[in-house]
Amino acid sequence: MKTILKDWAIEITILATAIVLAIFNPSKVGSALISATKTYLNLFIVIVAIALLSSFIVVTIPKQAIGKIIGKQSGVKGILIGALFGTLMIGPAYMFFPFFKELRDKGAGANIIATTIGAWAIKIAWIPFAITVLGWKFTLLFNALIFVFAILSGFFVGAFFKE
Amino acid sequence: MNTNIIEGIILLVLVLVLYVVYFIRGDKKKLKDASKKSAKMFIQNSIRLFAIFVIIAILEKFLSPKAVSAFLLKFSGFAGIIIGALTGAVMMSPAATSYPIGQYLLAHNANYSLVAAFLFTWVGIGVVALPIEFKFLGKKFTLLRNSFTFIAAILLAMLIGALL
Repeated sequence: MKTILKDWAIEITILATAIVLAIFNPSKVGSALISATKTYLNLFIVIVAIALLSSFIVVTIPKQAIGKIIGKQSGVKGILIGALFGTLMIGPAYMFFPFFKELRDKGAGANIIATTIGAWAIKIAWIPFAITVLGWKFTLLFNALIFVFAILSGFFVGAFFKE
Repeated sequence: MNTNIIEGIILLVLVLVLYVVYFIRGDKKKLKDASKKSAKMFIQNSIRLFAIFVIIAILEKFLSPKAVSAFLLKFSGFAGIIIGALTGAVMMSPAATSYPIGQYLLAHNANYSLVAAFLFTWVGIGVVALPIEFKFLGKKFTLLRNSFTFIAAILLAMLIGALL
């Protein structure tokens, strides 16, 4: 019981917050619940895919295999794989944190994961929209700098991890 | 159709192909373990993510784009960059939601640097998701990555401000 409470402390806190807010402002919290459900349904397929992929990696991939491709010492190749993966993936990055944990457990470098999360800020599918809204100069410069940042972020975080 | 759904289907198909290939060539018992494990993982992740979606939705109801833009327009210069970065770190909706806010800010004479800081931490840092990052990737990783991202946001904003 105690471990369950500890394990789900965040979710329980959120539930309690939502209940308290709902007492003061039921209509806003009600519509927030509806929009959260919409977000969930929208991302449902990705959530299913992540669960299948993560457990596949846990069960079938030997520990060294992942480390060889995206281990801390995988060099430029590993960094580029991480950066590209982050650039191309969709949905919020935190949705993939359980997946990243499995990769880390199988030897993926902290630097590569940091680069991947950094590159997540680039939303390829939304770049055309961003250009129409924010202008091409700003959008392209912004995304190019994010890419550079993502790689630097990997170096920075990696410097503090021995593994 | 929604891009999340299309790309989600692509991802799911790729994963299923992986399962099928492994089913034909690999250890079937391991595959059974993987399927069982994924059901458990799916339920756990669903609860955790739904809780975050609820908090984000509540934030959205209380911090409308209008209120946020009006607030940000009060600042400029270096203070604008810092406030922009902090505000972006609190916001957690999809990135596409942030672009029209950026457009509105620019149309109302906000600096490029403020807008860049705001848009960058919007996707780069998620205060609401910090507990999850903490849980799955560890305290050290979370602290290092997020503090670096915050500093990078300020530098990136100043660079964009100088270049545009």
